[in-house]
Amino acid sequence: MKIAVCIKRTPDSETRFRIGASGSAIDEAGVKFDMDDFASYAVEVALQIKEKAGAGEVVVLALGPDNVQETLRKAMSMGADRAIQLKADAVPFDGLAIAKALAAELKAGGFDLLLFGKHAFDTSAGVVGTATAELLDLPCVTAASKLEIANGKGSARRELEGAAEMVEFVLPAVVTIDEGIARPRYPSLKGIMAAKKKPLESKPAQLGAVRVAVKGMALPPDRPAGRIIGEGTAAVPELVKLLQTEAKVL
Amino acid sequence: MNAQSVVFLFVLAIAAGIFALNVQRLVGYLRLGFAEDRTDRPWARLGNVLEIGIAQTKILREPIAGIMHATIFWGFIVLTAGTVEIFIQGVWSGFSYERVLWHPLYSLYAASQDVFAVFVLAAVAFAFYRRLVLHPRRLEGDRIEHLDAYVILGMIAGLMITLLLANAFLSIIQPDAVGPEKFISRALGGAFANIAPRAALYAQRLFWWAHVFLVLIFLNYLPYSKHLHVVTSLINVYFSNTSWKAERAVMRPMDLEAETESFGAADVEQLSWKNLLDGYSCTECGRCTAACPANLTGKVLSPRKIVVNTRQRLMEKGPATTGTGMAFLGPRLVHGEGHEAAESLGSGATHRLLDGYITEEELWQCTSCRACVQECPVSIDQLDIINQMRRNLVLSESRFPAEIQPAFEALERNGAPWAFDAADRARWADGMSIPTMAELTARGERPDVLFWVGCMGSFDDRAKKITVAFARILQACGIRFAILGQEEHCHGDPARRMGNEYLYQMLAKDTIDTLNRYAVTTIVTSCPHCFHQLGNEFPQLGGNYEVIHHSTYIERLLEQELVPLRTDEGHRLTVAYHDSCYLGRYNDIYEAPRETLRRALPVVTLIEPPRARDRGLCCGAGGGRMWMEERQGKRINIERTEELLATGADTIAVACPFCMTMMSDGVKAKESSVPVLDIAEVVASQLSVS
Amino acid sequence: MANILVFAESRGTDLRKVAGEAVTVARRLADASGGGEVHALLAGPPGIAQKAEALGKFGADVVLVMEHPALATFAREAIAATLAARAKASSYRAIVLGFSAQGRDLGPRLAARLDAPIASDVIDVQIAGDALTVKHPAYANKVVVTLTVTGSPAIVSIRPAAITASESLRSARVETIQPATDPAASRVKVTQVVEGAKGRPDLADAPVIIAGGRGLKAPENFKLVEELADAFGNAAVGATRAVTDEGWRPHADQIGQTGRQVSPQLYVAVGISGAIQHLAGMRTSKTIVAINKDKEAPIFKVADYGIVGDVLEVVPALTSAVREAKKGH
Repeated sequence: MKIAVCIKRTPDSETRFRIGASGSAIDEAGVKFDMDDFASYAVEVALQIKEKAGAGEVVVLALGPDNVQETLRKAMSMGADRAIQLKADAVPFDGLAIAKALAAELKAGGFDLLLFGKHAFDTSAGVVGTATAELLDLPCVTAASKLEIANGKGSARRELEGAAEMVEFVLPAVVTIDEGIARPRYPSLKGIMAAKKKPLESKPAQLGAVRVAVKGMALPPDRPAGRIIGEGTAAVPELVKLLQTEAKVL
Repeated sequence: MNAQSVVFLFVLAIAAGIFALNVQRLVGYLRLGFAEDRTDRPWARLGNVLEIGIAQTKILREPIAGIMHATIFWGFIVLTAGTVEIFIQGVWSGFSYERVLWHPLYSLYAASQDVFAVFVLAAVAFAFYRRLVLHPRRLEGDRIEHLDAYVILGMIAGLMITLLLANAFLSIIQPDAVGPEKFISRALGGAFANIAPRAALYAQRLFWWAHVFLVLIFLNYLPYSKHLHVVTSLINVYFSNTSWKAERAVMRPMDLEAETESFGAADVEQLSWKNLLDGYSCTECGRCTAACPANLTGKVLSPRKIVVNTRQRLMEKGPATTGTGMAFLGPRLVHGEGHEAAESLGSGATHRLLDGYITEEELWQCTSCRACVQECPVSIDQLDIINQMRRNLVLSESRFPAEIQPAFEALERNGAPWAFDAADRARWADGMSIPTMAELTARGERPDVLFWVGCMGSFDDRAKKITVAFARILQACGIRFAILGQEEHCHGDPARRMGNEYLYQMLAKDTIDTLNRYAVTTIVTSCPHCFHQLGNEFPQLGGNYEVIHHSTYIERLLEQELVPLRTDEGHRLTVAYHDSCYLGRYNDIYEAPRETLRRALPVVTLIEPPRARDRGLCCGAGGGRMWMEERQGKRINIERTEELLATGADTIAVACPFCMTMMSDGVKAKESSVPVLDIAEVVASQLSVS
Repeated sequence: MANILVFAESRGTDLRKVAGEAVTVARRLADASGGGEVHALLAGPPGIAQKAEALGKFGADVVLVMEHPALATFAREAIAATLAARAKASSYRAIVLGFSAQGRDLGPRLAARLDAPIASDVIDVQIAGDALTVKHPAYANKVVVTLTVTGSPAIVSIRPAAITASESLRSARVETIQPATDPAASRVKVTQVVEGAKGRPDLADAPVIIAGGRGLKAPENFKLVEELADAFGNAAVGATRAVTDEGWRPHADQIGQTGRQVSPQLYVAVGISGAIQHLAGMRTSKTIVAINKDKEAPIFKVADYGIVGDVLEVVPALTSAVREAKKGH
């Protein structure tokens, strides 16, 4: 069972962001970076599938400058077997450009299953996984909230709006992972020490043309201050009146 | 020398030989544990032996059972002198100390034998009564069997009786051998005065040999009994580190650079020889478990069981590893819970101390309050075993309650055990004009003291009020202080308490770097956990600072009359102060918070709950439990809150932000309106400047 | 003059709300680029054709109707193939979809097949010369990113409910088309569709959301939230992570940083303290009402209107008051 997981290094989701001087990037001063949350769910799913199958290999890939090596090591400390860094000076916003670089690397890998996070916290775009699948001409399940793999076949659950669909597919396939599917394991010190010795290969990324670029960034406008209109049930009539007249939502 | 001496020597040789073999065997088992050096400060260690061991100070914390045991113990010591005399007599029948001692001393000695024999007998009788009739709670539970205790008590009684009777009959057949000092023996002899001399002789011989045999049997019974403590307890107290002021309560250092396959302890070879010696020294008295806040609220954790299990496992693994047996009596007499578990599991990968005897559930229920260590009369360190096993769970196996993973991750990502934005750390100080170390350094200035705020004090809404109150006090006193502001992050103590030594060292080392960069020498903090970590544990990693807890600091300010207080009386408050474990049992700080309250409030009545000071009941949040769910039994904080509310106090005072949270939650749950205040808030409310 | 291709999303034989929004955006783009045509693909089981007229209302010039029994469930590969084939055959300036469960799957497929740039989850689209300029809330709604999308066709998927559908009546001409690949032969087969709670709109579509948190104290009390939602008539029910983790509500109901991100007209937070992770999921709501016992709760800092009180008392009172108010309509 050979599984590839594509991960991303993103800022800590708790950060209160500031816009940098250029106006088109966040101010990275004091910002902590780590493996993207959805990517870490994907890594956990991969490890669980490998453990259930009894044998196999989990390979993690990441595109970016050398600082992504830390993130790849983290995946290996969770249990991934080896890592590949697709080296690029910067990670573009353009998901298709990244997908092309990944597809070029994954093509000859002989993977049974390729996992991605549903989207990455920073770009929140959800393009890379499904686009890579399409470039590799593999079946793709986008945003799986449940996943079972057995005997070369897979079944998954996808959340729709107010409903859910159950799908089946044959391996090799690509699945992008929604949250709620697995809790990423906390690496043990033993795992961290082992990860230092696992192979990490670095090669230049074959990025596609970058046609989606950040022109500017802004913080959402602060909401005007609200007010507490009263206490207890006595305040209800006033609230209803305000919703009708001021907010006009009733 | 006669036939009797030869027989005696023969018997002695066999008994001593068996005993020596057992000692060798047991020492051999100790070698399964890893080595550690405890040869430092010999005089202080000897002092502990004298105080805790000989003077029985910890035993006497319980008045009645304490006197009972102390009597048996002191009697034992005194009577040992007599036993030596008897054994010399076994070889050299005419021997008596009278020949070598100055007469008044000999009289004292002779009388002491009789008197203590009776005292010990009386104490043993009470002990039987206690166990058989009174059934004290701490002698139940953990599937303790009483047979071992009865055997020992019976033998001790037998020793006393045979001693008195031997002397009684001796006083009949050889009146000069039993002087008037041994008035009890003589009186007893008087009762048999009319029997035939030959019968008296045989009786004396009988009871003398019975006594000798009982001594030798008793001696050789010890290695198979929980009364091994008779041999090991003083040695255990000597080698214990649980009595040094402040330093005693530091967690065992850990070298993460060491080339090792496993971290922490999953089985007996991964514990130190001292932990294993603790196992030998446990008498299953249960004082630790009786004081454990987890156990007394219905959880499975029992510190006694932890130690007994360690011994059981050693008795199981020791023979297998060292190849020495004596298995014919072996572990069967080493009873109690866990042993059955071991038997049913058989052998296998999980058959080890962790999981095979001690479960994960027990280990995580500990609040690290140190009540168990405080109570143990033979200075066993139960907490050390628990901490080493937690380290194994986390570092080697990544096994821990799911709810603490976010705490670990938040510590790694944003330097606090909760998902707060690091940028908000100094928000509490908005509008207070408090300089940061960075600002002062840029101006070429230095503060008198660094105020270490801590994560609770920086982010928790309730605790922020404590921070502000203390800052106001410092400002009112004109203290030049600074904060680290956004450069402060958690020192890693919560991670350490939860077994994550790796994460802890990362955070601690980084903190030390920051503190050293600013050449910090003096720190004041309002959190006892920060206080303990920065002041007592940081030296392990090279951080040496003078750290003062705010209760001590405020007390000093009050003493020096630097605090501008209102002079109006106000009304009388009745305050129940809840002792923080990390201030109290860890650092012996009991008076400073109380004194602060007395000095700050013009009229105050301090009312103590039944469990106060070093018997104070934990709030339940220590040992990383602040981040864990309580899943069994009664909530510890409710138990404590009920006790505090029952004092009738109109205010509850605390000196720790964790205690603040737990007591506030407790008061809310009991639907009471008694306010919970930090001592800083009490003092701040009395400031005469706004 | 440039034509815009739109995927008009449907489920079964019903149009989804985001279809109207997508056509609206397509109409605006067509108008802004010199008045081109909007071509909408409508795919579904037999009977879907009846919805073509509705698309015309929002501004579609041509509705490409694709009916097939296997399109009763989401035939992602066939729809992607059909859209791609159409886009290759004709020239489009842009392709618009909704960033829904369907759209997030189709968009990247199209991008790869057509080698076209894609911007997802946008809340605003403008034509700026050769490029499109879009606005997209990134970093879990914490930062609004302005992106330039260069290339033609450019694929844009819009955030549902961010742009209001507006009418721009056209008499749409209907073209029946065949799927480019067999919808029944997908490599990803739908074996079952599990319906959610009946009768309530989805969180993504609902104009009003009533969300409950730990302050409700017990799972049984969620019925108060549901009754309030019923009183509004068109409201969905959401929950915080705290209560979905406890199992009081399904995970699909969770609103927050790691759950659903919603932007309704009215968001009523019942017994929710307002932890930052929850706020990340609903802070863009037009109007926020908070009901909580603790006046220091952070939710009151983002709420437009707040009531401090016991939710178990206030919510029923609010429910009756809303029912009364609605009676007038």
